[in-house]
Amino acid sequence: MTRADFLVAMLALGMLPLLYNRYWEEPVEGEDAEIMAGDDKKLKVSLNTNRRLNIEGPLGTSVLEVQDSRIRFVSSPCRGKQCIHSGWLQNTGDFAACLPNHISVTVRGNNRHYDAINF
Amino acid sequence: MQKLYHTALCVCIVLIATGCSDNESKLHQARLVAFGTLVDISTWGVDDDVAEQAVAAVESTFNKIDHTWHAWHPSDLTQIDTQLAKGEQVELDADKIAFFKKAMRLADASGELFNPAIGKLIALWGFNQDDRPQGPPPDPAAITSLLALHPSMDDLIITDTTLKSSNPAVRFDFGGYAKGYAIDQAMAVLRARGIDNAIINAGGDLRAIGVHGDRPWRIGIRHPRNPGIIASVETSGDESVFTSGTYERFFEYDGVTYHHIIDPRDGYPAKHTLSVTIIYDDAATADTAATALVVAGPELWQKTAAQMGITQVMLIDDQLTVYMTPAMAKRIHFEIDPPPKVIIGDVS
Amino acid sequence: MSSDARQITINPTREDYRIAWLTALAITIHIVESALPSPVPGIKPGLANVITIVVLLMYGWPTAAWVAMLRVVVGSLVIGTFLTPTFVLSFSGAVASITVLGIGSLLPGKGLGPIGYSLLAAMAHMATQFTVAYLLFIPHPGLFKLLPVLMTASVVFGIVSGLVVSAIMNRIR
Repeated sequence: MTRADFLVAMLALGMLPLLYNRYWEEPVEGEDAEIMAGDDKKLKVSLNTNRRLNIEGPLGTSVLEVQDSRIRFVSSPCRGKQCIHSGWLQNTGDFAACLPNHISVTVRGNNRHYDAINF
Repeated sequence: MQKLYHTALCVCIVLIATGCSDNESKLHQARLVAFGTLVDISTWGVDDDVAEQAVAAVESTFNKIDHTWHAWHPSDLTQIDTQLAKGEQVELDADKIAFFKKAMRLADASGELFNPAIGKLIALWGFNQDDRPQGPPPDPAAITSLLALHPSMDDLIITDTTLKSSNPAVRFDFGGYAKGYAIDQAMAVLRARGIDNAIINAGGDLRAIGVHGDRPWRIGIRHPRNPGIIASVETSGDESVFTSGTYERFFEYDGVTYHHIIDPRDGYPAKHTLSVTIIYDDAATADTAATALVVAGPELWQKTAAQMGITQVMLIDDQLTVYMTPAMAKRIHFEIDPPPKVIIGDVS
Repeated sequence: MSSDARQITINPTREDYRIAWLTALAITIHIVESALPSPVPGIKPGLANVITIVVLLMYGWPTAAWVAMLRVVVGSLVIGTFLTPTFVLSFSGAVASITVLGIGSLLPGKGLGPIGYSLLAAMAHMATQFTVAYLLFIPHPGLFKLLPVLMTASVVFGIVSGLVVSAIMNRIR
């Protein structure tokens, strides 16, 4: 291991906590999910009502299911089906995407989202 | 070469150290009871002990103002009420004079929809006590005779040191103003202690300065009917976000709901409006504007807001229709799905 | 077309054989890796980088760059993902890795060893794949939640593959 190697390793390890601090928030049971299809179409869906959603993408229709305050991909025209394998999304920030069909889903937070509430 | 590596190593260690420090530990949140309500104070970017001392100072500021201006607990204000009702002239210090002068200015600007001189009317309805009134609603005749006496801030004769009233029916109730005033004072206390990023939130009365680290403060606005948030707003710089809702204080009698924001024109709780949210710099003005606009309702809100110099208004009526100024529409982000019906109205 | 046709005889050297063999190995690893599951489809740890770095240490940067490009293009042709989003991700990851390796090879003195190169290549590979995925395919802020995990994985893979490269180099010498 050379000196340069050691430096690179230190830099790498130092960068990791920064990333966690920046992008990770406490998981909280979310209230609604945000679905993005392509670049421009944004849909907000309450997780309080059980239902199924058909979202159109370039490859076809992806089907999402909302049940018991959770959401997941049920079917999708992609090959890898990674989106389906992501399983149920429940907590704030939980995320799944069907990359080939340009569809992504993220769970948005509840009160923790806000610094203060005007009653 | 050695030096280069050593410097680089030091940089790495510093990076690791800062990376491992928790960003959220710069946030300090405290809660206290003042003005008969819960007050949340959030500060960002200062050490915990600085924040704690600042919160203690804010608490004592709030208590002092509450004790001075309380509408029904024995206070300086109730003393002033008694003396003024007897026709006497009272001597007041500069702070109190400033308080009255501002209230008079705002009452005038609101077209008297904000009228803090109708304390007797408020007492008639039973809202001059800590507990919820039981009802029944007051006798219409009592209301009519009080209205006929027309207590108003115009009845006050004020100088730089004295105050007198030409109308014995005047009694003060500064709900809808005193809290805003207090929040302005409290924010000055925080600033004086070097705190540049903070929120002071007394329920629906909030003032925010600075930011939450690398993002703005995010304020959620309660839905007037359902639990949960109807909309959110991100503050910028130094501003106040005040919401007056008819759901805050009310009583039910014989199946009818009577709330605490009394329309000074007819003596009854204001109709048609569920809530009003105002964004403005100083809290005292935002407080009175929010109250006045609840009374103004969907008919008069634009005119009243224009008179008071308010450009960012959101009014929600009892059909859950949202009225907004264009400036407000740019800032409001609806958090409900589907979003409500919105009517944009300008106040120029 | 010219009457004076010249015959060009290519005599593959032992080095050429070796490089070809290594490239084939890299392609194989690439194909196998594509079968691995991943939180964001298409983003791969870049195990095939091991080969790239061995080539770098043995034959220099230009050859390593060539092997890396061959790996990505041929690999995707074989799998059938050529010019798909998956390919774009692999390709951009590979370009970033070799660029970073090229810059790293310019360091004076003893410079970087296998671990340093592997770490840098792995992190550049992952960071670029993430950026491309975010910019082109999923411009969704929720994606950032995965970034710390992905980068941690890349650091781990980087160190592991660095050790693997070390072991290989020791055996070869």
